[in-house]
Amino acid sequence: MIKLIGALCIVFAGTMLGFYRALQLSERPRQIRQSILCLQRLETEIVYGITPLPEALKIIAGTAAGPLRTLFGLASRELEENGGGSVQEAWEQALKAAWSHTSMKQAEKDVFLQLGMTLGISDRDDQTKHLRLAVRQLQAEEAAAADDQKRYGGMWRSLGLLAGVLIVILMY
Amino acid sequence: MNVDVNAIFQIAGIGIVIAMIHTVLKQMGKEDMAHWVTLIGFVVVLFMVVSMLNDLFKEIKTIFLFQ
Repeated sequence: MIKLIGALCIVFAGTMLGFYRALQLSERPRQIRQSILCLQRLETEIVYGITPLPEALKIIAGTAAGPLRTLFGLASRELEENGGGSVQEAWEQALKAAWSHTSMKQAEKDVFLQLGMTLGISDRDDQTKHLRLAVRQLQAEEAAAADDQKRYGGMWRSLGLLAGVLIVILMY
Repeated sequence: MNVDVNAIFQIAGIGIVIAMIHTVLKQMGKEDMAHWVTLIGFVVVLFMVVSMLNDLFKEIKTIFLFQ
């Protein structure tokens, strides 16, 4: 009886693990799309609103959802609190703290880090250029992520269940 | 006898599950992974069979060598 319950637990855990991986795969393109929107909003704030960077980041954090809200909110707070530090430092701190909550991968993090190097140190035209560049890179990443999701989402779902069943058979 | 039948069913189950994993991985274009999974499954089954053969040889020894 206890053996059976344990076997069911293992199968359930394997299935859930597979579904979790599939969920993360489907979260990634969505979050990339959201961050593209956030960056475009940031561009608007910088070019037309001429808002100071901490406030602009705070406004964007207010409109974003989920982990991106944490990311931009943290960046804004870091900027306000360490007055002497550069934008890049604050941006990197925020990325380091908030990145593990997102489903995005290293490629997107590199784009964000590159953006942080140029944010807030040059005039509007230059920043617009860099923001547009980041958006374009993220769009390419989004296409790749959507492709990945289509290919590997189903695979992870069935693979989780099968791995659970395999472990149960091996140990039974 | 009962234990032996169980072991055969276990090996059959491993074979079925490994075959399904192989198909899934192959369909998603990860053929190298699929082959690795098959190889690992084969090795696991081989270990089980070898341990059973070990028992068989021990039986034969006790029968023919009176030891």
